[in-house]
Amino acid sequence: MKKTFVSILIALLTVALAACGGSKSNDAAESSAAPSHSASASASASPSSSPEQDKVEIIMTNGKGEIASQWEQAAKDFMAANPNITVKAYSQAVGDTLSILDKLTASGETVTIAMMGPDQLLNKHKDFGIDLSNEKWNGDTSYGIRDESGKVVGFPFAIEGFGLVYNKKVVEKAVGGSFDPFSINTRDKLKELLDKMKASGVQYPVAYQTEAWSVSNHYSTQFLNQAADPNTVIAQLKEGKLDLASNAVWNGYYDTMDLLASKEYNKYGERPLGKYYDDAHLSVGKGESAILFNGNWAFDSLKAVAGDSFGFIPVPVDNNPDNPLNNKIQAGPTQSLVINNKATPAQQEAAKKFLNWIVYDQAGQDFLVNKSQIISAFKNNPNKVTNPLGAAIADAIAQDKTLPFTNNYIYGDDWFKLIGPEVQKYIVKKVSRADLAKFIQDYYTSKK
Amino acid sequence: MAGRRITSLTFTYLLLIVAFISFTFPFFLLIVNSFKRNGEILENPFSLPASLDFSHFGDVIEKMNFLVTFKNTFLITLLSVLFILLFSAMAAYYIVRNSTSFNRTFFAILVASMIIPFQSLMIPLIYIYGSKLNLIETVPTTLLIVLYIGFGSAFSVFIYHGFIKSIPLELEEASLIDGCTRRQTFFKIVYPMLSPTSSTIAILNVLWIWNDYLLPSLILTNEKNFTMPIKMKVFNGTYMNNWELLIPAILMTVLPILVAYLFGQRYIIKGVMQGAIK
Amino acid sequence: MLAEKKRLNRLGNQLFFTGPTMIAFTIALLIPFVYGFYLTLMKMATPVSPPAFSGFENYRAAFSDSQFWDSLWLTVKYTGATIVFVNAIGFALAYLVTMGIRSQNFFRTALFTPNLIGGLVLGYIWQFIFVQSLPAVGENLGIELLRLGWLGDEHLAFWALVIVTIWQSAGYMMIIFIAGLISVPKDIIEASTIDGANAWQRLTKMTLPLMVPSFVVTVFLTLKNAFIVYDINFSLTEGGPYNSTLMISMHIVQKAFMETNYGVGQSEAIILFAIVAIVTGVQVYFSKKMEVEA
Repeated sequence: MKKTFVSILIALLTVALAACGGSKSNDAAESSAAPSHSASASASASPSSSPEQDKVEIIMTNGKGEIASQWEQAAKDFMAANPNITVKAYSQAVGDTLSILDKLTASGETVTIAMMGPDQLLNKHKDFGIDLSNEKWNGDTSYGIRDESGKVVGFPFAIEGFGLVYNKKVVEKAVGGSFDPFSINTRDKLKELLDKMKASGVQYPVAYQTEAWSVSNHYSTQFLNQAADPNTVIAQLKEGKLDLASNAVWNGYYDTMDLLASKEYNKYGERPLGKYYDDAHLSVGKGESAILFNGNWAFDSLKAVAGDSFGFIPVPVDNNPDNPLNNKIQAGPTQSLVINNKATPAQQEAAKKFLNWIVYDQAGQDFLVNKSQIISAFKNNPNKVTNPLGAAIADAIAQDKTLPFTNNYIYGDDWFKLIGPEVQKYIVKKVSRADLAKFIQDYYTSKK
Repeated sequence: MAGRRITSLTFTYLLLIVAFISFTFPFFLLIVNSFKRNGEILENPFSLPASLDFSHFGDVIEKMNFLVTFKNTFLITLLSVLFILLFSAMAAYYIVRNSTSFNRTFFAILVASMIIPFQSLMIPLIYIYGSKLNLIETVPTTLLIVLYIGFGSAFSVFIYHGFIKSIPLELEEASLIDGCTRRQTFFKIVYPMLSPTSSTIAILNVLWIWNDYLLPSLILTNEKNFTMPIKMKVFNGTYMNNWELLIPAILMTVLPILVAYLFGQRYIIKGVMQGAIK
Repeated sequence: MLAEKKRLNRLGNQLFFTGPTMIAFTIALLIPFVYGFYLTLMKMATPVSPPAFSGFENYRAAFSDSQFWDSLWLTVKYTGATIVFVNAIGFALAYLVTMGIRSQNFFRTALFTPNLIGGLVLGYIWQFIFVQSLPAVGENLGIELLRLGWLGDEHLAFWALVIVTIWQSAGYMMIIFIAGLISVPKDIIEASTIDGANAWQRLTKMTLPLMVPSFVVTVFLTLKNAFIVYDINFSLTEGGPYNSTLMISMHIVQKAFMETNYGVGQSEAIILFAIVAIVTGVQVYFSKKMEVEA
């Protein structure tokens, strides 16, 4: 700080002082300000020129703001185990205008390991990563993120899933006994359950929160699972060959959404948009309502009010109990780690070491699951998350009751920014379902 | 007549009390909810805390790296404001007393620049000082302070200019005749006379820089340089706000300013009034 | 005018006194502004990619960006609403605390307090109020308007922004008005009281015309602040629901940084500058004219 003070003084007063001699012009003084800055800076930064060859410095960025402190600790633990590697760990402040990766890149840094959503990896940053197909950890997971040519380019850092989160106590009271969430495999059965809850004295069984990422990126992409590989549906959309307005699955999900958001069942039915995230989780947590649409991360909010147990009901799309869409919940990698192809080979090696450290080192496994409460994509990780919703996802994975995570097949920013508002307009009936269908189709045909 | 006076007085008080409540209840909410757990906060924000639980302040101090963050904010604000006060007064003085066409043009440009929306400078700022000169990486704090001096100078020179115009020339002429130089005259005679105006300018600039978010969020990339408004975002989760920590963090950001205000309110209000009349 | 006799001496003093401000101003405003204008004529994909000349292409894109015009219109409405309410309430408060009641200094101090809070923090506090606190009040007291959050309804969210702006800046304007009211000569008011003018007549016929100079300042400030509002918009509504409260500054930031469309974003910023320059210029010109006539 003292240095700062002095350098400003120097920068701004050189003019005035030098001017006493009356010889220097304004311009000369101005340019003299710049070198004095960089001189003081270059002294501290430029470890690359150090003679020791084994030392390597890597920069890694974390996109999950909520695990910022764990991330930093992981860097320290990893450095302790690998003394010749220096790790500079950065975390994204959530909701920041610029992503930490863009910010560092713009200021001339080479980020070695970047955490990003798979959609970012496959779209915006598709030229960023190196091929990870030959890494050992691919043998312990099937969730590695592959690019169009089938190469693994992303390390699956976190697995997450979503569905209809329900409060076990309230539901069990309404059905009068134990409850199997997978027994709700048609829309009519869901409606029946909601009616039972109303009959048991729950005024609004649903607390439907409608943030754009939830109604758009998560809810509105579910129809992509009508094909075994969601990419085929995307390809059809891009070619203009899929008519959503007449597509049964696409319509089915909005029929279910209408049910969830209706005035009859939804606490916020009168004014369905709004920042209801906290309130929805409070209501379901306390048992004033019973169902909301969200992912395993919802537990962070639910636990704030109650220790009740929670689980997932699949989101029903139609009334066919044999439709796999009605019997499974979505789960998949939501954050991946990618190694920069512009980093030096030594940095890339160090980065690969870090990935292996997460998978195979006890401290790394502990960091991922116990400390950060992240569902691991790796079979060999012995730890279990304490979060009941996370555990429900892990169980569903084990029982093969999961569907691909459709959010990974879209370009998230566009769905959030462009399609999200349209879905919200649909919820308040400012646009019709046909308008929404057309909007999504136009979006894809224009992207081709 | 007396009766009407009393009713009108009651009415005045009634209005003022309504205004008082609406203007201060957010502070009340901040204070009571700083001591509550998330569940308690969400349940009823208006209730008094069940117990005085200071533990959140500890958490906030730790998670915000409070001492460092506070020091950064304090020093950036202090240095920027000190330099603004000094440089703007000097410039305003010289512009008033040497009304050359160059100085008049400079003043006009300064005043006109007040309506430049910050958004129109943001992209070039990053482009020039980030990717071209790389100052954002090497000397972020210095760069930030220089930018604050630049952004603050227009308004401050403008206010000083108005005030200096009203100071009679005789004093300065006398001091020049006594053999003082121009610079000595400014620092010994003129600058002390400006102190009421200086305090107004200091206050307005402190409020602005202390609370500013957008500019530091663009310039400061390294955690260790963060100011409080930026650092506060750690409590702003991906999906929800962690109110039990966010609220004490807000309180701790606002508190230094609030305390300073309560101590200096007389001068501050007077200062703002003077600034308004010019 | 105190000009130095020797030219060299004068140059020295010129640089000594105005040099530092000039440099900082050049670094912070002049270079970025000129460079920003140059950037609008360029096409660049990312902040690091080399720009290529593209003429007025970016301006064409900006003019055909419908969200830009929607945001601009919304900003105009917001500006109108804040000018009216902030000034009316600021003046009313100033009037009340200059009536000579005993605790008026206490009220002045308290009503100015919201000014100490700015930007992001302000938005967080009010998000807490609109999202958590008012619905709690609504539920407990059975007020239907408050039971559900305001920020999800496009009209209510707009008014939420206006209310927060009033809350923050009415106290500041109040102080400016107090300065004006104190300088209104007492004898004129007393004379009119003797002439039988009632309080309302005294206010509209005598006081308000004398307050025009204060209004010039306050309207200018509210106008300028409203046009370039960003922090509250960003931290309170984030432009939602469905972009219905996305005001112009936030739109520009999104265009440039989220959609990484720097050229178009910068062009829109330049257009915004032109609009603000014209509007404030017209405002100051006409109110100065009014001031002279009054």
